[in-house]
Amino acid sequence: MKQMRQETVRRIISLVLLVVLTGFFIATTDTFLSWANITSMLREAAFVGIIAIGVTTCIITGGNNLSGGLTMGMCCMVFAHLYKYTGMSLIMLVLISLLAGLAAGAFNGFVVAILQVPDFVATLSTGMIFQGITYVLAIRNQYGSITSEMIKNQTVASWGGKLPNGIYYVTIAWIVMSLIMQFFLKKTKTGTYIYAMGANRKSAEYSGISYVKIKMIAFIIAGFCSFVGAMFILGRNGTCDVTTGAAYSLQAISAAVIGGAAFSGGRGDMIGTFIGVMFLQVLRNGVLKFNMTTAQQAVISGIIIVLMLVFDAYYNEFMQKRTTRAAAIAREKEGKGK
Amino acid sequence: MKKFAKILVSSLLAVTLAACGSANADNSSDDSGTDATSTSGVGFVERTKNPYEDEMRFAWIPTNATEANATAWGNGIREELSYWPNATLNVFDPERSAEQQAKIVSDLVAQGYDGIFLQTINPDILSASVREAEEAGIPVVCINMGTTEPHAALVSMTDFEAGQVIARRIGDALGGEGNVVIIEATVGAVRGVRLQDGFMSVMQAEYPNIKILDSQPADWNMEKAQNLMNDYLTKYGDDIDAVFAHNDQMAEGAGMAVQNAGKQGDIIIWGANGERKALEYIEDGIITGTVYTNCKDQGKTAARIMMLYLNSNLDTGSFTKTPVTKMPPITVDASNVDTITEDMRW
Repeated sequence: MKQMRQETVRRIISLVLLVVLTGFFIATTDTFLSWANITSMLREAAFVGIIAIGVTTCIITGGNNLSGGLTMGMCCMVFAHLYKYTGMSLIMLVLISLLAGLAAGAFNGFVVAILQVPDFVATLSTGMIFQGITYVLAIRNQYGSITSEMIKNQTVASWGGKLPNGIYYVTIAWIVMSLIMQFFLKKTKTGTYIYAMGANRKSAEYSGISYVKIKMIAFIIAGFCSFVGAMFILGRNGTCDVTTGAAYSLQAISAAVIGGAAFSGGRGDMIGTFIGVMFLQVLRNGVLKFNMTTAQQAVISGIIIVLMLVFDAYYNEFMQKRTTRAAAIAREKEGKGK
Repeated sequence: MKKFAKILVSSLLAVTLAACGSANADNSSDDSGTDATSTSGVGFVERTKNPYEDEMRFAWIPTNATEANATAWGNGIREELSYWPNATLNVFDPERSAEQQAKIVSDLVAQGYDGIFLQTINPDILSASVREAEEAGIPVVCINMGTTEPHAALVSMTDFEAGQVIARRIGDALGGEGNVVIIEATVGAVRGVRLQDGFMSVMQAEYPNIKILDSQPADWNMEKAQNLMNDYLTKYGDDIDAVFAHNDQMAEGAGMAVQNAGKQGDIIIWGANGERKALEYIEDGIITGTVYTNCKDQGKTAARIMMLYLNSNLDTGSFTKTPVTKMPPITVDASNVDTITEDMRW
């Protein structure tokens, strides 16, 4: 119950900061609140948000996933490569790309859970492998140089489309996936196991929860999210290159942490991550409005993110001390009672 | 009368651009679909802003804002826009990520910028965002690299042709026989791809006895190129006769590695772009040559085209082909480096 309150307080703080930031940009610029800008922000946030769903799940297990964006890039390239060189049907292209995403997730799970490599190093390394595969599969011209090619398919193009009210399909997908994952994490047995594993691995294992199974599930979910993100990227851009997705991994991790997920595990959820993703997007979008140099934009954005992370660290420490103190008082009272 | 004058100016502009495009079409090897031809079927829009009176916001989005040529282009744009008292230019850095660049363009469209100067990282990936901008009435003038989707204009350096020129200079200097190593741009970077393709097309067709020993990327970066060149020197030793680097910074890195190895003058080194330091290195004999472009003038040209559009009723979103202007390349080596005077250096 106390843990729940702690999470709620943390989320409210994130939300308040998001509201303050949004309010600041609304007050200082005239175009921020336009419908076009809102739908555009939601779309751009959705690509990071979909990756962040998987990343958050991995973080909750007490791990991390630095390969989410690169898995996304690999799924894109698998699709583009097969489209260019094999002439497969669309369904087959989607299924094989899905398999690539799931296989990447399973491979991450294997390296982390079975080979016992720490998540950070493992996913950093597997990310390099996935990027290497992307290079190998890249489209090449007659001189052997890497190039890109448009995927001229109406169905693929429609994935990048939007509703008549301007909301993009990718935004809807992000919100639906976030809600499903929130339900999965909070209302199912497996979700509870994921939190338990992150909160205390030993206790979880003593309770009969399989570390391998939980890690596998988390990374396969992340692989699936990368696949979904990849399909929407292809829909939006109609193509991909060897750098596609590379920038998303760190953004997704930042968003998860801003949203309240703790690297120590056992804390975080999809609502928090949604807030974190929006915080980053609002910041990026808002900073564009001021006549700042590139360096100033980077410094301002960086400072705000660092302040958020420093706050998060202090908050965690404060809450931990409070919990310890409360436990000590309770023990003391118990002792006096005896 | 005012409306008539606007339509007249717009029509003249359309004809000029079409003619300009056609004139360059024969020389272009651009395979992105942005070749210059006509702007047939152009439409007209009623512009709500007057650039002489209203505040105008422009964005410059290079592939990487810290590179010398990006700075030179930006300075050229800024200098030209300074003649417009209400114009401001903001620079955005996508840090060589096409995805980030597409995001920035979409954001700027949503925020109602008046014009976008863009050096695209990937002509295909940026197409959707550029289309959004053009559909929103925001002209996109690209520098060096356009998009597959038609847009307002492309002001380009030569790339495929520059690769061909460099191949011929190296091929002739080696007498048609020898070994070359290549220092490539970031994998997949389109300018690098075109330089490489131009270079390889000539090497394969005209110099079959010149062997490409190795070709590895150094990400446009001087330090990485220096390390790579050291590796090449360790691996191939005296077998290397010439180096082709996809930009000047990497040529400079290679030049320093060769100098440190005591082989200065023994190995031919060519870069491309023509930045100030490369010209100094040519004067010092550290590198052999480069293909120079006046980037500042290129930026100014882009800005002039942008303002021309914004002062007309021409709807650049209705273009079916992108008008292209190519900047004249100058092949520079020790024999003519002094012709690039101080005011031309960037």
